[in-house]
Amino acid sequence: MTKLLQSLVDGLGVGSTYALLALGITLIFGVMHLVNFAHGELITVGAYASYFFFLHGGSWWWMPVIIIASAVLASVLTELVAFRWVRTASPFTLLLTSFALERLSHALWQILVSPKQRAFPKPSWVFNQFKIADISFEVMDVVTIAVTAMTLLLTAVVFKRTLFGISVRGAAEDFDAARLMGVRANRVISGAFAFAGALAGVAACLIVMRSPAAEPSMGSDWLLKAVIAAVIGGLGSFTGAVVGGLVLGLLDTLSRVYLPDLAEGWDKFSTAVVFMLIAAFFVIRPEGVFKVAHAERV
Amino acid sequence: MNARAGLVRITRSMLASAVLIAIVAAMATAYTRTGGASRQSLIAEMLSNFILVLGMQVFIGNTGVLSFGHMAFAHIAAYATAIVGIPLVTKAKALPDIPFGLSDVYYGPLGVTAFAVLATMIAGAIFGIAVCRARGLAPTMITLATLFVVEQVVKNWKELTRGAGGLSGISRLEGNTWLWVGAFLALVIAHVFQETRIGRFAIATREDELAAPALGIRLFTARYAAWVVSIGLIALGGSLRAQHLGSVNPKQFTLDSSILILVMLVVGGMRTVSGAVLGTVLITAGNELFRQLGDPQRLDIERFPDLFLGGAMLLAMLLRSGGLLGDRDLAGWMRRRMYRPPPTQAVGERVAATNALAASNIEVHFGGFVALDGAGVAVRPGEIVGLIGPNGAGKTTLFNVITGLVNEQGGTVMLGERDLSSSTPVDVARAGLARTFQNLRLFKNLSVRENVSLTSLVAGRHRRDRQRPDADALLADAGLSEWADRRAATLDYGNQRRLELARAAALAPEFLLLDEPTSGMSDQETLAMVESVRAVAARIGAGVLVIDHDLAFITRISDHIVVLNEGRVLAEGTPTQIRANPLVAEAYLGTSA
Repeated sequence: MTKLLQSLVDGLGVGSTYALLALGITLIFGVMHLVNFAHGELITVGAYASYFFFLHGGSWWWMPVIIIASAVLASVLTELVAFRWVRTASPFTLLLTSFALERLSHALWQILVSPKQRAFPKPSWVFNQFKIADISFEVMDVVTIAVTAMTLLLTAVVFKRTLFGISVRGAAEDFDAARLMGVRANRVISGAFAFAGALAGVAACLIVMRSPAAEPSMGSDWLLKAVIAAVIGGLGSFTGAVVGGLVLGLLDTLSRVYLPDLAEGWDKFSTAVVFMLIAAFFVIRPEGVFKVAHAERV
Repeated sequence: MNARAGLVRITRSMLASAVLIAIVAAMATAYTRTGGASRQSLIAEMLSNFILVLGMQVFIGNTGVLSFGHMAFAHIAAYATAIVGIPLVTKAKALPDIPFGLSDVYYGPLGVTAFAVLATMIAGAIFGIAVCRARGLAPTMITLATLFVVEQVVKNWKELTRGAGGLSGISRLEGNTWLWVGAFLALVIAHVFQETRIGRFAIATREDELAAPALGIRLFTARYAAWVVSIGLIALGGSLRAQHLGSVNPKQFTLDSSILILVMLVVGGMRTVSGAVLGTVLITAGNELFRQLGDPQRLDIERFPDLFLGGAMLLAMLLRSGGLLGDRDLAGWMRRRMYRPPPTQAVGERVAATNALAASNIEVHFGGFVALDGAGVAVRPGEIVGLIGPNGAGKTTLFNVITGLVNEQGGTVMLGERDLSSSTPVDVARAGLARTFQNLRLFKNLSVRENVSLTSLVAGRHRRDRQRPDADALLADAGLSEWADRRAATLDYGNQRRLELARAAALAPEFLLLDEPTSGMSDQETLAMVESVRAVAARIGAGVLVIDHDLAFITRISDHIVVLNEGRVLAEGTPTQIRANPLVAEAYLGTSA
């Protein structure tokens, strides 16, 4: 029972980070049908920003601001220098463009800083433990879940209540119609990238608090999981991204913890099993859990 | 006759392959003459990449489905090579617990390659079912998952793979000769595939995922064929590389190498074999240049080639998303130069169209919205029926129900005695209903002639009871002969409409279904369209069901008119009767005048 609860908390912790990233991916997909493989690089940008911030005597209290600001800036910048110029191209071209950016980002960090990991100190309280009814929790678990919950709530409010959020949702439904209603394409798309950047920034904060280090390719693993989460949920669906992220996080953790019990010696194949399940899921339901109807006229 | 055409195609592919490989060989010789022996190993690396790029081209280039997982199969092939290509004594030491009685299997180079390719193709054929069944982004995700599954199995199935350390001691192929042979073979296969019926169908699905099935091309079959051939080439590349290096390890074919190969493919131009070749040569050369520039004695930049790869891919996408060559292709050029119109077929007995098309009591709901509420339409053989109605009346939905794009909740669609209710678009097309689309769905990057020839090819297989219309004659009728070799996308709007009509007619259908063929046309063009539709229908002996807003066009062209309003049939009759009907005027003009 303890083991189960503990792995559920762990799974939700990882899953909520996936969810934040998947939300950004699904948001961008909604406005321009781009599966942004460069989205994970925003974590890397955030991590390096905090590394440099620390080098120059920064403190943990300002860190979130620095990380989120740098991620927002980087996100908007990628749209400005790259995606804007291929906006009307095929999804294939868009996807490869984002892939190229991801590769370039890796290369640039390797060249400008170092291919090796750069570590910086972590806040002292992160791995402090406390107990509720015999189950020990890390402070970070609680912080992760609380921060994610607040961010998701804020996201919901923005997209339900503000003019910006409504424009973005309108653009995701039908871009041309939204344009005719006076929505400005450039502003909406820039705004969506900024918002996705902020979400990635929050995720980056949570990630570097646990393991405070910057590395050129650190974004890629997170990105892959986040893309898969977004596609599982149904690209373009906000609820789907959150559900997809949480499910993937739980699946990750539970398979690692429980697979050895189920089948002797299979623990080393836990990732393989997760990916098999994912592949099987896509065979059965290619559009994801929350299918988004695309108004394609024939 | 057919055998001769096949021979021509193979000769052409061999010739194009020979020219391309000769160019690459000349460049390689010039490069190795001027430097040391180390240059030979760069050529070897390029050659095995060359085979891998061509393998990816066969699937990605022809179907337009992005795959990250091809390197998983290179991995499988490399390990299969190691398992049967390491001499027995060495193998007993490295893999003491090897399962499946593989401990005493050892083949020569040819046997090893054959075993590796066959084993990999079997694995590929199984994974391929999942990849080719899925739509949208799902296939890409499945290939990505496959890559990780294989990577982890390779790392952890120690009895078979010896885990992280990899396997060495594979009997090596000396020199680059076999790599050259493999590269040539890969070139020929990639070329031939684009000439085969199924290869051309795969290309059609790349150009339009919706139009291809609506013309009788089965998406799964075309993609699956491309996938299996493609995996075969990947296996060849993986196996030859393992035999050249003499060792394999789990880091040989990862996501990074998938991306390297992908960059080679997209920079040169994934749609053509020539593009794949150009990309391989350019990226190999650029990579090497940046590696040397980043050398500690020069600029001293570690990982400089990574910058080149990312930059090259980004520039290619921003500036030329079709790659440097786009659709330019040596084999394609030869095909056009060598084009001889097929001899006109002896006019056989034309089987008169005897089947009527009847959709009746069709009901369709989208959520709570009732799109069709018992509407129907009937067309007699050879008759031209017009379907009109205000926006939202359900005209296109009725069309989509008949052609299998929308599933009806009630009612039947019959073609003669055959029940087409709830059939797939492919089956509807093969049964003899050919359609056009409201917003034009041509195979844009293909030539005007190929657009028509493709459906003619479907007709040759699935519409045997009908006389197969001659593609060139249809083009001549449409006034498009002059532009037969141009890309379809470069035609002006009116000609694109006429091309879509000709393409549908090439299916030798019993009925042509035209969705707003005059939308966006001037009055004069509309008049000309009336003549075009009549001429085409008469040539192939087909009936026509046509939707349009334009009352003048419909009354001019139709023998019989059906008026839809709010999902129901409001009125039907001859053009004269419809013009006189007060209900129609009300629905159209919103007055009871």
